[in-house]
Amino acid sequence: MNNKIKFIVGSAVIIAAVIVLAVQGMQEDSTMSYSKSVSEVQLMGSRARSLSLKVNGSLKKGSIIRNNLDLDFVITEGNSELLIHYIGKDPIPDTFNNEMDAEVVVSGRLAEDGVFNAERIQAKCASKYEADYSSAAI
Amino acid sequence: MADLGNILLLFLFPVSVFTMLIALAAGVTKRRGLFEAARRGAYAAFGLATFAVLALEYLLVTSDFSIEYVASNTNYALPMFYKIVALWAGHNGSLLLWTWIITVFIAIVAYQNRHKNNDLMPYVLFVMASTMVFFSILSVFVSNPFDTLYQDLGNQLQEFTVRDGRGLNPLLQHPAMIIHPPILFIGYVGSVVPFAFAIAALITGKLDAGWIHSTRRWALTAWGFLAAGIVLGGKWAYVELGWGGYWSWDPVENASLLPWLTATAYLHSVMIQERKGMLKIWNMTLVIATYLLSIFGTFLTRSGIVSSVHAFSNSGLGPAFAVFLTISTLLSISLLLYRRKDLKPDEEMQSLISRESGFLFNNLLFLLATIAVLWGTLFPVISEIFTGDQITVGPPWFNNIMIPIGLALLLLTGVGPLLAWRHTSVETLKRSFGWPILGSFTLVLILIGFGIHDGWSLGSFAIAFFVMWTIVIEFVKGARIRSRNTDENIFVAIYLLSRKNTRRYGGYIIHAAMVIMFVGFTGTAFNSETRAEVGEGDFFELGPYTFTANHIHHAETENYSSETLELEMSRNNQVITLLLPEKRYYYASEQPSTEVDIYSTLREDIYTVLSGMSNDGERVIVQVYRNPFVKLIWIGSFIMVFGTLFAMIPNLRILTKKAGTAPLSKGGE
Repeated sequence: MNNKIKFIVGSAVIIAAVIVLAVQGMQEDSTMSYSKSVSEVQLMGSRARSLSLKVNGSLKKGSIIRNNLDLDFVITEGNSELLIHYIGKDPIPDTFNNEMDAEVVVSGRLAEDGVFNAERIQAKCASKYEADYSSAAI
Repeated sequence: MADLGNILLLFLFPVSVFTMLIALAAGVTKRRGLFEAARRGAYAAFGLATFAVLALEYLLVTSDFSIEYVASNTNYALPMFYKIVALWAGHNGSLLLWTWIITVFIAIVAYQNRHKNNDLMPYVLFVMASTMVFFSILSVFVSNPFDTLYQDLGNQLQEFTVRDGRGLNPLLQHPAMIIHPPILFIGYVGSVVPFAFAIAALITGKLDAGWIHSTRRWALTAWGFLAAGIVLGGKWAYVELGWGGYWSWDPVENASLLPWLTATAYLHSVMIQERKGMLKIWNMTLVIATYLLSIFGTFLTRSGIVSSVHAFSNSGLGPAFAVFLTISTLLSISLLLYRRKDLKPDEEMQSLISRESGFLFNNLLFLLATIAVLWGTLFPVISEIFTGDQITVGPPWFNNIMIPIGLALLLLTGVGPLLAWRHTSVETLKRSFGWPILGSFTLVLILIGFGIHDGWSLGSFAIAFFVMWTIVIEFVKGARIRSRNTDENIFVAIYLLSRKNTRRYGGYIIHAAMVIMFVGFTGTAFNSETRAEVGEGDFFELGPYTFTANHIHHAETENYSSETLELEMSRNNQVITLLLPEKRYYYASEQPSTEVDIYSTLREDIYTVLSGMSNDGERVIVQVYRNPFVKLIWIGSFIMVFGTLFAMIPNLRILTKKAGTAPLSKGGE
């Protein structure tokens, strides 16, 4: 019986430690990001600037401007647009270019001037898989 | 051929249903004839699915672009090899492959046990066939790979053919990606077998360790394939995605990790049940959880419920999976509760410092790891339900929890096997662990001397060293005793010793592999990187290395055009190697693709990416990562596979000289 108690106490300590780590991690702003679409970001107003965000939208065709190591582009959703300035270190995904329709998720923060500073860009190439084949019919 | 494929699949569905129902009837009525019929049903399903796979392969290889799946995943210029493996490049083909693997497993299990496990087998076939029914429904009715291209002309549907297909996603055109999906599938589907036996044991009430013995190799196989699949996924991400890392806690990655965690816990805790008759309910729970998490992983990957970098489209499979998962979970839990009285432990735990408690803490940690990963993966869904905001937790959150858990588990790897069953005295502990602990402390001091101050990394290196030491001691100690008795040379003794108990020593080999991999993971803490825009003749530095851009080279093939940077890497004016990071543009898919180049040594990887070019093509942006110890991860994974295979071979039955007619080695410790 005594051993059972010892084991339960040991387990409780481990479980408590993991819970502490999990909760503590949840409170750190850097680990949490809010997934929003472009229009939702604009509806959030100034609250958006206090949060770490993951914004999804469509890349505006031809909006990518490359300047040395820097990158600026626009993502859209309906009539909403958001100007993105890439400040991350990772290479940009291959599907991310001016020639293709791409669904984009950018992670980062909204600056005071309304420009979104993105640390990460993830591109999904939606067009290929939902392409309309009829134009290519024989 | 597409019609034939469709017919085969259309037959597969009723045959699966027939097998499931007849197997159930065989179980209830205990009539041998019905069981034989179910067995034949399983073989028939295997035959039908095999020919369906072959039919799809035929369409892929002959480039029949009237079939949507073929047109979406291949093109004429695609090398034949990739046409063949395009079977699992897309969604519908993957599901067919999945269905086929299940039919293979059912056929094998039915054949293996045609004269064995007579009480369990009808229900085993019933459970496996239910899973097969579910997947055949998906393959036939929801995402049929034999669907033709058609357009809606208002009053009728007209089929058509395209001139050329869209080609295979360039990201998939890599060896690791080619074997990663089938290997992972085998791992996922493999979990069905132990699950089916566990459920059959619950239904029939034959709850002795029989079902565990019958599924030991299956559990180990599933575990090994899952592990290999996960590592290959990491390898693919590393060389193909071009961000210099192999793991990002993406939902789809997590999906494969979850059943692996519970399967690992099971492989450990099952030893207590065999030895001590404890943890019976718990083992059932782990087997059930592994199966459910395997199905859940497929669901997560295929349903698009959690957004992921993996570009799987939302395929409408979500509801089907949700229903299947809910039913399976509820039935399993009900059965478990119904039998809970028959699953009482034979013995109580005796001491906190014992092998048993080592296993219990091991299981607790694996359970916590599973819960943490599941929680983090589903957090976007949970948070949206409760707050209306979809909130993602990033890699730092996972690392924050998983690094301590991982290190604690690693430590147990070293401590656990040296603990005695029932009770270990403090004296024994001192004797076993004194030197290894002293060695680890010395190592820490040396590393601090070399300028490493990161606490987690020091801890990781120290634990790795400690565990490796204890593993070596295990081999050497046993071999010494053996060679003293038999006059064998120490290496022969090590070989024969481990062959006499492959399960135990295979386990140690896997532990050693984990240590090596952990050192590889720890290397991440020392990663460094740089980025530069260079023209021909420009140079830049990273750490002790100088990189010079020699030449930018343009080339064209039938499949793609490419730009390659010749990057010379040197140290102290000595040229070490020439790196050739490349950017390709695939014609068929109209997609660019990055081919990284890696200079890999045991010490570190120099990882180069051509991440962009100026408009005139004169200058390129190149990214260089310096990643210490990454190679150890791949080496460790090879050793892990070896250890798994080793643990599966039957024990060698040898008589030791002095002991005369020594007892035959017993399976398993």
